[in-house]
Amino acid sequence: MTVGLRRALLVACLALCALEARAQQATEASVKAAFLYKFPGYVEWPTAPAAGTPFVIGVAGSDEVAEELERLVPGRQIHGRAVTVRRVREPEAVRGTQVLFVGRAEPNARAYLRAAREAGSLGVTETERGLEQGSAINFVTVEDRVGFEVSVDAAEKASLRISSRMLAIARRVVPRS
Amino acid sequence: MRIPSAIGRSLRAKVMVLALATTISALVLSAVGLIIYDLQAYERQWSTDLVTQAEVIARASAPALSFGDRETATQDLTVLRVRPRVLSAALYTRDGKLFATYVRPDITPPEFPPMPVTDGYRIADGQLILFRTVVENGEHIGSVHLRSLYDPWERLTDYLTIMFVVMIASLMVAGLIFGWLQSAVTGPILEVARVARDVREKRDYSLRAVKTTEDEIGQLVDSFNAMVAETGRRAEALRLADQRKDEFLATLAHELRNPLAPIRNALEILRLAGTDEAKSRPAREMMERQLVQMVRLVDDLLDVSRITTGKLAVRKTVLELQSVLRDAVEIARPFIESRRHKFDLVLPHEPVVIEGDRTRLAQVFSNLLNNAAKYTDTGGQILLSAAVEGRAAVVRVRDNGIGLGGQSLDAIFDMFVQVDRTLERSQAGLGVGLTLAKRLVELHDGTIEARSEGEGKGSEFVVRLPLSGARLEGGAGRLDSDHEAKGRRILLADDNVDFVTSLGQLLSARGHDVRIAYDGVEALAAAEEFAPEVAFVDIGMPKVHGYEVARRLRAAPATSGALLVAVTGWGQENDRKRAREAGFDRHLVKPVEPGDIEAILKSY
Repeated sequence: MTVGLRRALLVACLALCALEARAQQATEASVKAAFLYKFPGYVEWPTAPAAGTPFVIGVAGSDEVAEELERLVPGRQIHGRAVTVRRVREPEAVRGTQVLFVGRAEPNARAYLRAAREAGSLGVTETERGLEQGSAINFVTVEDRVGFEVSVDAAEKASLRISSRMLAIARRVVPRS
Repeated sequence: MRIPSAIGRSLRAKVMVLALATTISALVLSAVGLIIYDLQAYERQWSTDLVTQAEVIARASAPALSFGDRETATQDLTVLRVRPRVLSAALYTRDGKLFATYVRPDITPPEFPPMPVTDGYRIADGQLILFRTVVENGEHIGSVHLRSLYDPWERLTDYLTIMFVVMIASLMVAGLIFGWLQSAVTGPILEVARVARDVREKRDYSLRAVKTTEDEIGQLVDSFNAMVAETGRRAEALRLADQRKDEFLATLAHELRNPLAPIRNALEILRLAGTDEAKSRPAREMMERQLVQMVRLVDDLLDVSRITTGKLAVRKTVLELQSVLRDAVEIARPFIESRRHKFDLVLPHEPVVIEGDRTRLAQVFSNLLNNAAKYTDTGGQILLSAAVEGRAAVVRVRDNGIGLGGQSLDAIFDMFVQVDRTLERSQAGLGVGLTLAKRLVELHDGTIEARSEGEGKGSEFVVRLPLSGARLEGGAGRLDSDHEAKGRRILLADDNVDFVTSLGQLLSARGHDVRIAYDGVEALAAAEEFAPEVAFVDIGMPKVHGYEVARRLRAAPATSGALLVAVTGWGQENDRKRAREAGFDRHLVKPVEPGDIEAILKSY
């Protein structure tokens, strides 16, 4: 066996591993996108939006999730409204969204989440300390399975009510303070 | 249907069976109806129940399905362990993959069927299999599957068990209620039955059933008591009548036997005396007296039978009461004199006219006179008086004899009753004289009444007879019983040789010209030659019977105006009518007495 061949094999192996990692990432992103689409079914917003306006899911710091969502939502409805996905680049753009997902790539998560809370938007994160940062829902992945934890406290600060049926399957629930 | 004998015998058992049969029938019918309805509703109920269950599971598991939480979904299904009839359950994802399952812990896991396209259930092999889609937020996210036991027979068994228990309990309750009602319904009837049995067994007619209710049973008790009382009265009356009849028979035998000894003695005397007139005369006179006594007894006996068979009849003619009373006095005088009583007869001067049977009325008054003489100590006083009071002739027979106690006044007229049984037997009689007198007076539309101041103070019998508006036919001399009869030409036709011969001798001895015939042919021959004024013709003669003889006698010129008297053994109105139609003037019923013939000859 030549050194060249060995390197080629190694490269190929690494490439495969990378591909596999990408595939796994994509799967995780699609699951999260699906969850983000499903969460609103268990959440009540205090005021009904004006008729004809779409249901807006904002995504910050995760293009993969945004892409998955954009693939998922066309033709679907949440609470009887068409769904649109907005890629949010700055906290000011949070206003007008009903759900805001802040990916782990977003360094300034706290600012986004604060904006979400002020805008009455459901803040969702995917980091270990997501709930402590102020999100209402935080994805947790255990043994490759995507689950979530819920902060009722955070949700209520954003004037949102989360269904107890959803709380029943949450990994962890932070009660209201 | 044949009723078991034990039930057939007891009213209590019958009512018990009735009550229990009713209860059982009602229970069985209602239970059968209930079971039929329930089995029909069972499938609907159970499927509805399972659908609801599936719905609850679908709702609860929807978030778990939505977010792929198998653990929670499995926990949701595990709740089904409280429903042991559910064998297994499963949740399918939207694309038909098994998501979570539940299997009842004690059975081997079944193979779960593939997810069907539509909702619904089916029943197979005693199991109900159900599918239900899970829809969340308007989106089809999966399906619920339930498999449960479906066994209507098990339910039927349960029902039958319950029904059996309920029936046993109901029968016990019915039995208790019956026992409670028993005394109210069957109690009084059983009481009547018990008393009836006692009455029958003990012959005690004083027993009475106690009346406890006012309903139909109460009426039954009243009627029953009245019937027992009536039966008791009748039994007592029968016993008394029977006792009187026994006494009568004893008396009769005694009375008939009594004259026979003197007659036998007299016969012996006659045999010894031979032609010695001085010795034989007292014996003959004694025989005559005894014979009169016997004839009187036998006459009474015949009258008794006529009373009891209702054949006592009277032939009414217009009569003068005085002459009837004189006849009676003539009959009774020898006895009154033999008792050495002082006798007074007080009669009105004007003739008192009544309608009646001379012989029978004379019998009534002679009976009363004989009674007075009999029940008065020797040397007493007897008064016979007659008077007209209003529209009635009143005859009184009064004595100063032993009198009547208050109780005897009504009973004295009953058959075989005698006031004093200790009286000397030779004159006691049969105890039918007053009964006969009462019947005869009633047949004359009259009344008879006994009065007494008390025992030892004498007695008075009062007879009232209606006056007749008719005039007496002929002169008073015609009615005079003392009028001497002149000799007649008499034909006697009868096949009873002894009777007709002795009667012929008697009539000849009294100065009549008598011819005797022993059959119809002889009678007709004798009549043609002899031309009798009076003919006594027996109906039942040989060769030519009496009716035919009468017709020919009437047809013959020599005898067309003769007095024809029929002599028969039958005294029915029918026979009399037939005799009249044949041409007879009079009718005599056997046995014929010389006195009867004398009376007819006198009145001719």
